[in-house]
Amino acid sequence: MSAIITLSLLAILVLYLGLFKARRALLPVSLLGLVATVVLYGVQWGKTAEPLYSGMVLFDHFAVVFSVVCVILTILVLLLSKDYFDKSSPHVAEYYALLLFSLTGAVLVVSFHNLAMLFIGIEIMSVALYILAGIRKKDFASNEAALKYFLMGAYSTGFLLFGIALLYGASGSFDLAAIKEYVVSNPQGISPLFYAGILLLIVSLAFKLGAAPFHFWTPDVYDGSPILITIFMATVVKTAAIAGFLRLFYFCFIPLQDFWVPVLLVMTIITLFVGNLTAIVQQSVKRMLAYSSISHAGYLLFAIVAIGATSANSVLFYVTAYSLSTIIGFGSLILVKRATGSEHFEAFNGLAKKNPYLSLAIAIAMLSLAGIPLTAGFVGKFMMFSGVLADYQVLLVVLAVINAAMGIFYYFRVIVAMYFKPLDRDAIVVSGPYRVVFFLAALITLLLGVYPAWLTGLI
Amino acid sequence: MESELLSTPQDFVPILIQLIVAAGFGVGTIIITHLIGPKVRTENKLGAFESGVEVIGNARQPFSIKYFIVAILFVIFDIEVIFMYPWAVNFREFGLSGLIEMFVFMGLLLLGFIYIIKRKALEWD
Repeated sequence: MSAIITLSLLAILVLYLGLFKARRALLPVSLLGLVATVVLYGVQWGKTAEPLYSGMVLFDHFAVVFSVVCVILTILVLLLSKDYFDKSSPHVAEYYALLLFSLTGAVLVVSFHNLAMLFIGIEIMSVALYILAGIRKKDFASNEAALKYFLMGAYSTGFLLFGIALLYGASGSFDLAAIKEYVVSNPQGISPLFYAGILLLIVSLAFKLGAAPFHFWTPDVYDGSPILITIFMATVVKTAAIAGFLRLFYFCFIPLQDFWVPVLLVMTIITLFVGNLTAIVQQSVKRMLAYSSISHAGYLLFAIVAIGATSANSVLFYVTAYSLSTIIGFGSLILVKRATGSEHFEAFNGLAKKNPYLSLAIAIAMLSLAGIPLTAGFVGKFMMFSGVLADYQVLLVVLAVINAAMGIFYYFRVIVAMYFKPLDRDAIVVSGPYRVVFFLAALITLLLGVYPAWLTGLI
Repeated sequence: MESELLSTPQDFVPILIQLIVAAGFGVGTIIITHLIGPKVRTENKLGAFESGVEVIGNARQPFSIKYFIVAILFVIFDIEVIFMYPWAVNFREFGLSGLIEMFVFMGLLLLGFIYIIKRKALEWD
């Protein structure tokens, strides 16, 4: 709980720093606050968790681990943000504050123990993002992204609220423990309202996750938003969405598996194919990464299709691997776009000659996203697939392997452009914070690929 | 006691009747006025009604975004007061911790208010 309070106060503090023109202090203060949050979570680790504040939040291992992942990813995003916002507008402090508020919402989403908290968390997370997507006021695409995200997001909130209302109508409580008690104690007499509520919750959570057929906002919003905000949306928000999804279904809905697993199974297959098939034909790397994030949402849903005790660990591993690689992918795109003004695959041509280390980091990230062995992405996919195989969903695994092969095709286009398409170009200047972030992300990707046990036993 | 809690479809018949009456009244009066009402079409009658004042120009004019900002900020403090009503009703039961929690809530809103003023969101020019 102290971590959530720290985060909220930190965001307000950053707002006031901006008010009193302490612009240089913004980034250090935000980073210090986030590190303090991680430390506070570390202190909480291992203690027996009990629902706090009338059962509103529960900081069990699941919540702590996913919160820490969200906070660390935000630290990496903030490191990339040095000098990034200055160009778009003078209100830098507001952007930092909004990112921190959004993070607070994400942390609530992964640690809720009451459906009201799930709703509030998702709203805090999204409202800040609606603004952040549109921070380039003069840019048409940025405006479009903000408006689309807002309209569709507000609509999906309606589904979420209606779903929660129906669950409440059937079970008489917002509390996860009470809802679970209702499901377990009435195996025969579960109200039809409850089933409708589950379906509506699937709709709204799949929307936040960006899973087909509720993915239509994803490409345009990811493409139109400033790249840094896209990184935040594709990593932190996705982590929070899948963790909240898993938490709700793992806590409450396992006895009703026969009802919702077929629904999610179909959604997963559609998501994989939509994401991968459209990513293949993209010419812009940013859009390719946006569609690939849809397909990764599909792989993440595997854990919920084969829900069980190991689901949380495989989601944690997959989401970490995916997020680190995404940070490298989009982060390098910031640099390449700054240097060439283009987001196309051709902008990466000949990069390996002039920037060997940057290219190596990008190559590691793309290999990890494609799921090549010795990277974290491979272990993540392996855990997902083996979880589903243990559930005898052979068809799903076969389709997923076909999709993984498609993924290799478009991720390798970036590598081919960097290494095998010579072009006379100037070296890209990689500033200090970017080096640190890329180095750390690539290093962790490789280490987790070789020693996966460091992360798999956590929850 | 048990039988009172069970609700059968018949128990909702009054609601159905009320629904039909409400919808029927709306639809019915519109149809009847169309059928038996006198039809007078003058320029004044077909124009926009502005509380009896002469209509000036078109309603579709751009107006300052400040109206939105002030309206939204008003809503925030409106909601604050709404929260305080149930709190005040249960003040004794909440005791000291309730008082502290309300102060925290108001303190956060006050921080926001100071921010608004400093940012000059309420200055009108």
